[in-house]
Amino acid sequence: MLTAAGSSVGRGPVGRALRSFSQAATFAIKPCDLYRLEQGPPSSVELSREDALRYYRSMQTVRRMELKADQLYKQKFIRGFCHLCDGQEACCVGLEAGIAPEDHVITSYRAHGVGFARGLSVRAILAELTGRRGGCAQGKGGSMHMYAPRFYGGNGIVGAQVPLGAGVALACKYLGSGAVCLTLYGDGAANQGQIAEAYNMAALWKLPCVFVCENNRYGMGTSAERAAATTEYYTRAHFLPGLRVDGMDVLCVREATRFAAQHCRSGRGPLLLELQTYRYHGHSMSDPGVSYRSREEVKAMRSKSDPIMLLQERMVSSELSSVEELKEINAEVKKEVEEAAQFATSDAEPSLDVLGHHIYSSTPPFEVRGANQWIKFKSIS
Amino acid sequence: MNLFQAITSALDNSLAKDPTAVIFGEDVAFGGVFRCTVGLRDKYGKDRVFNTPLCEQGIVGFGIGIAVTGATAIAEIQFADYIFPAFDQIVNEAAKYRYRSGDLFNCGSLTIRAPWGCVGHGALYHSQCPEAFFAHCPGIKVVIPRSPFQAKGLLLSCIEDKNPCIFFEPKILYRAAVEQVPVEPYNIPLSQAEVIQEGSDVTLVAWGTQVHVIREVASMAREKLGVSCEVIDLRTIVPWDVDTVCKEECFLHLEAPISRVCGYDTPFPHIFEPFYIPDKWKCYDALRKMINY
Repeated sequence: MLTAAGSSVGRGPVGRALRSFSQAATFAIKPCDLYRLEQGPPSSVELSREDALRYYRSMQTVRRMELKADQLYKQKFIRGFCHLCDGQEACCVGLEAGIAPEDHVITSYRAHGVGFARGLSVRAILAELTGRRGGCAQGKGGSMHMYAPRFYGGNGIVGAQVPLGAGVALACKYLGSGAVCLTLYGDGAANQGQIAEAYNMAALWKLPCVFVCENNRYGMGTSAERAAATTEYYTRAHFLPGLRVDGMDVLCVREATRFAAQHCRSGRGPLLLELQTYRYHGHSMSDPGVSYRSREEVKAMRSKSDPIMLLQERMVSSELSSVEELKEINAEVKKEVEEAAQFATSDAEPSLDVLGHHIYSSTPPFEVRGANQWIKFKSIS
Repeated sequence: MNLFQAITSALDNSLAKDPTAVIFGEDVAFGGVFRCTVGLRDKYGKDRVFNTPLCEQGIVGFGIGIAVTGATAIAEIQFADYIFPAFDQIVNEAAKYRYRSGDLFNCGSLTIRAPWGCVGHGALYHSQCPEAFFAHCPGIKVVIPRSPFQAKGLLLSCIEDKNPCIFFEPKILYRAAVEQVPVEPYNIPLSQAEVIQEGSDVTLVAWGTQVHVIREVASMAREKLGVSCEVIDLRTIVPWDVDTVCKEECFLHLEAPISRVCGYDTPFPHIFEPFYIPDKWKCYDALRKMINY
């Protein structure tokens, strides 16, 4: 279902006749399942050409960046643990689209896409993965610990970020900034006790916290049905309202996020979003991802529900863009990611004396004990 | 057998001998992330080997409950780095159960197993050695093996011991260490250190993976410095074998201050791991400085 609301001359490839594109189009999106809510987000949304191109470019960048990380890992430029989010691009891009830059976000270890959406460059992310100075945490954090202004990481311990997110929300309320905090966690983490503690405190004090459960159906190797007494994650905080959202559709995610943020900003307290999504890779690079699910299942998701493909089809069929223009964007994204990878594999590693920095905050630098009592490092912060 | 196979063998023996024994934890059903429980669910059934949700505090609390009724509970914490949500349950519930109930109740048939220690690329949360946090807690036992043969005997002793035990398994040795290990059950006593090499000049004490490092340091010392080292594997961290390590008045007879060689006083780093760990060169360096004191 679409209407062309005005058109304008679009940028076309050099030498060919310029195309004219629609400026905006309206789409029907899948309505959300509601819990303790009378009304949900709208099921008919307008998408501008500018936004469409931006979402497409962002999702494509995250996809390429994750695949490049896969490649670098197999070439052993990236070591250690690496959790990729390809397949879940609609979540990180859609969430960011539904909030303002002044809002806050915290997530788990599958953080590359969210970090990019929050403003980290591909360069900074890939260089952090390879442990170089140019990385967003100066090479000291790695895959699971990436940070940016108003993005609190990047957390290794499952579920531990959720009480933190509630705390950030408390600060937002206390400082009267009108900002909200998106607190992300997965279907596996939903069974951690401290999340129930966070729900209770947030509800009690009406904190502007949106609890976002990215349900990709598997907690590492255990399917959601085998780990949870109920897989209706949006109802888990039984005293809080919740929305279950199609997490493979960037527009659904955006609308649900806008709705949720508005709910919090108006002082009605926290609520839950469950984004039903899917990851193509295994839990991490050490997991082939097929011992607990079938290759057919992964293939089916890729061919029927791929978030980038869904957006592309909408954009082309409603003339918000064309296949050629999107191909151009793909080429630009590919170049950006290649250059970032070049940087990430050639930048210098942090120097050894940085090992002792930033343990504490202290005015005169103090000495850090090394492996034996004669080895000392200076801690500077 | 390698280390993980030795663990599987010990668990197999336990489940065969003790009809009340159950194994549970995250992902243990398919065999576990380090393959320590491969084949056990097929052999003993899904009501004896089962997965739990992702909740360490719940896993240990639940295990204490099983043990209090008299059944044997073998809980797995997927990485020692994740044991902290369960710290309260271990220290405040498990360790104090017998004492606070005047011996009416106890959870002695609880054993908690966890992969432990650095592995080369684990970074902050897949490399920690948290035994020191538990060393101050009376009521529990903490055991760390150095090899497959040691692991099976010590694990069987922990499971049969009538006190709650934590058994840390050096993950870097799971596949790397291979030895002849008997298929039949056998025990190695707890709270007994082992002198694996006699010596007269310097005593080197370690546990887990580090035992192999100091063994190498001992031979370097013999070749390069002509120094004779005694090498001791502590095995049980708490309650520890004080007598083997130091006789009562030994401090009065030492010719150099005791040297402690360990990781840095920083969180376990990502890219700096090779510099952080107390490798043989750092240990050798400390030994040399002691000799020349």
